[in-house]
Amino acid sequence: MKAGPGLASPGARNAGVHRLSLPALFLLLLLSTIAAVTFGPADITPQEVWSVILHHCGFLPDSPVSRLRDAIVWELRLPRVLTALGIGAGLALAGTVMQALTRNPLADPYLLGLSSGAAFGAVLFLLAGFALLMPLGAFLGSLGALAFALLIAQLLGGATPSRAILAGICISALASAATSYLIFWSATGDSYREILSWLMGSLSGSLWADAGLVGAALLLCAPIILVSGRALDAFAFGDNAAASLGIDVPRLRWILLGATALLTGIMVAIGGAIGFVGLVIPHAVRLATGSRHRVLLPHAMLAGAIFMLWTDTAARTLFDPRELPVGIITALIGAPVFLFVLLRYRRMT
Amino acid sequence: MRPSIPVALALLALALPAQAATTYPLSLDNCGVTIIVDQPPERVVAIKSSATELLLSLGLGDRIVGIGFQDGPLPADLAATGANLPVLSDKLPSQEVVLETEPDFIYGGWESNFAADGAGERPTLARFGIATYVAPAACRSVPPPPLSFEALFAEIAEMGAIFDVEEAASALVAEQRSMLEAIDRDDRGLTALWYSSGTKTPYVGAGTNAPAMILEALGLTNIYADIAEGWTSASWEAIVAADPDVIVLVDAAWNSADQKKRLLAESPITSQLDAVIHERYLVLPFPASEAGVRNVPAIVDMAAQLARLDSAE
Amino acid sequence: MSLEIANLSVGKAGKTILSDIGFTAPRGQVTGLIGPNGAGKSTLLAALLGLAPSSGHVRFEGQDLMAMTRRDRARLAAFVEQSANTEERLSVRDVVALGRTPFQSALASANGAEDQAVIAAALAETGMTAFAARRFDTLSGGEQQRVHIARALAQTPHLLLLDEPTSHLDISAQLQLLALLRRKAMAGTTVLLALHDLNLAARFCDHLVVLKAGTLAAEGAPARVLDPALLHHVYGVRARLLHDAFAGHSVIVYDEAIPETLPHNPD
Repeated sequence: MKAGPGLASPGARNAGVHRLSLPALFLLLLLSTIAAVTFGPADITPQEVWSVILHHCGFLPDSPVSRLRDAIVWELRLPRVLTALGIGAGLALAGTVMQALTRNPLADPYLLGLSSGAAFGAVLFLLAGFALLMPLGAFLGSLGALAFALLIAQLLGGATPSRAILAGICISALASAATSYLIFWSATGDSYREILSWLMGSLSGSLWADAGLVGAALLLCAPIILVSGRALDAFAFGDNAAASLGIDVPRLRWILLGATALLTGIMVAIGGAIGFVGLVIPHAVRLATGSRHRVLLPHAMLAGAIFMLWTDTAARTLFDPRELPVGIITALIGAPVFLFVLLRYRRMT
Repeated sequence: MRPSIPVALALLALALPAQAATTYPLSLDNCGVTIIVDQPPERVVAIKSSATELLLSLGLGDRIVGIGFQDGPLPADLAATGANLPVLSDKLPSQEVVLETEPDFIYGGWESNFAADGAGERPTLARFGIATYVAPAACRSVPPPPLSFEALFAEIAEMGAIFDVEEAASALVAEQRSMLEAIDRDDRGLTALWYSSGTKTPYVGAGTNAPAMILEALGLTNIYADIAEGWTSASWEAIVAADPDVIVLVDAAWNSADQKKRLLAESPITSQLDAVIHERYLVLPFPASEAGVRNVPAIVDMAAQLARLDSAE
Repeated sequence: MSLEIANLSVGKAGKTILSDIGFTAPRGQVTGLIGPNGAGKSTLLAALLGLAPSSGHVRFEGQDLMAMTRRDRARLAAFVEQSANTEERLSVRDVVALGRTPFQSALASANGAEDQAVIAAALAETGMTAFAARRFDTLSGGEQQRVHIARALAQTPHLLLLDEPTSHLDISAQLQLLALLRRKAMAGTTVLLALHDLNLAARFCDHLVVLKAGTLAAEGAPARVLDPALLHHVYGVRARLLHDAFAGHSVIVYDEAIPETLPHNPD
């Protein structure tokens, strides 16, 4: 559809805003974190919450609350909040990269069999009795699925984006079937619940170790992805165009795919198959920033972190004293948001 | 469960010294389905431990032609009579396997046992002339009121009526009643968490089924009593905030009490709980954690454990 | 400096697509690459960009084009495809700015002053300055193609490679595009473009290279190359040439195709 000459692109219109929008988003992130950590089923005032945190950081000599309340803030809420931030950032980043690499707006981080493989690995470990090592199983499963998907793509005649996607669909189906088989065959009543919660995506019980792992994954993979922003733009018109602009297409693709797979593998290992974040956040952010990846990537990271933070806060407080797996909330919110984004796309074309 | 003729009959039978025999055909309302029993069932398939144990307690072991999906070993007093029951499957048996035994009565401990990929759907089985029975406490499609001992004893009595063994049923009920009365209910108003399973997200006993009934009988306040379900997924933060005095651990082969103790001690969140530090645990085997004949003996055992905990303090 | 190609062969999955191609695309001239579908025009261009594995020699401005790094090659040569659209939400300026990619490092800040100047010049040269803020996918086919040219120009290339840039374009757009390329050539850029339309080739190219079934069929000035015998041999058509004295070049008039001499049945 053609539009009049007056229609400006979103990126151009907001070009001047970009200089401010990233710091503004970061500020929002900080404020959100400060607020979110004070929410929870336990009755602790915000001042107490922050005193506990300051105490553990060495700024206050004593903890102002009882040992248990201290544990609630420092061992339960804070690690969980940080884990949510990290997973949101990681998934949004991974989703944006996948959409660019495969030139497919429906791509999400789980495209190449990553989440189905992770589910299989996690369930395998759980049923084999290594419930606490589920994250390791998930991680190995996701890498295994990726390796198989790429192998299949290679056998189909070379790992191009469309072949990789097809291979990923194949591997996803296989892994899902295998997972269902495992569940049906060996799961007892109790483990059904654990598995279901993991499959839907849940940050319950996140510890400092989880937050640390997520942080390490981000520290390792995010810089690689962020500096590729300019190169990712070159992919807009296909491999040949990118190559003619001096990009080593296969090498870049492998590096980015590797970083994304590693990042996603760890995110899924810790939080389960949380849906919609990787798919919807990139689109929503694109509406505001346009498709230039140098701008899109950092904004998506921050937006994803903030989104995950608030959805997880809702998951653990809305149904006090119970908790909902966060994946349910991201789906409930994500679907209408996606619809909204699509409608905005339509109005802009 | 709505009061029905056989319950009234059973209560009547309890009141009179001479037991009245069941008049057949017997018509019952069970979990939304009307079942008709023409004669005392001779060939019974029992699914889940609660079903098997109830039948054995009524001396009906010789009528069991197959058991499936058991939750653990039989208790000591039933081990002998239940030693050689034919096992159809460790998990839920399929319809053909069940039908192969040519049963005339199938007793399901969970309503979901009667699915198409399980023992078969109840209407289908009825067409084959097989009466099906769902443990009333486990009924999901027609939710029963919160489980009480009266409801439990009513199920025993109903079984007595169906199998025409009212004498054994009322004897069992009387025995369990006297065991209950002999228990010293703890009167210190202690709070308790019923920890069934789950690591990241704990699955706990809530307000309307066996966990609630057992905790109440012990004189413990269930921190999740307000949730109108049998069990519920919970939040560690809410549990830590409530700081229960005692933790009940369900001991299952696939998730033992010891594993749970280790988990609680090692997690930075729960290791701070008073109950964990002082190891104030009560343990019961999984089959006893669902409505059945093992609830009352379990309560007796747990009351003793509770008393021992206090003396150790 | 001209583009000198010698013994260029390209194979893929065991099949030979181009064998022993050699020609020169002179500097300051528009060289047209013509031939039937499947003759290997696109493959040749891909090989020059290092996108297809090839053997042989390719020299440009005294350097071995194949031995360079991709980045260095991208600073010398720019490529425009047939028609490329994108799902990405980029403005016209963004697309043109892509042309500066070979000159920017990943860590450098967004387009510096020099980059901005080059982008502006490219937009002006293609007449797309007024469209700079528009979203790329809202443009017509011809306008999009001009933006791609602008992107290529933003690479400040010495060598311009184009693969049938005029297909999907209106006649006026085609003529404008080719006129632009002639201007670039005359200003010193070496231009090599694959063309479908022989009449446009006759009109706009200074030099022609004819491919048939992966081999070089002819090379030279259009007046010499485009004769009925060659057209019969390469394309399997009967044609006549009419000389337009006013325009100064020939116009090809086609008769029917001869069934028994269609291209896949070589004489």
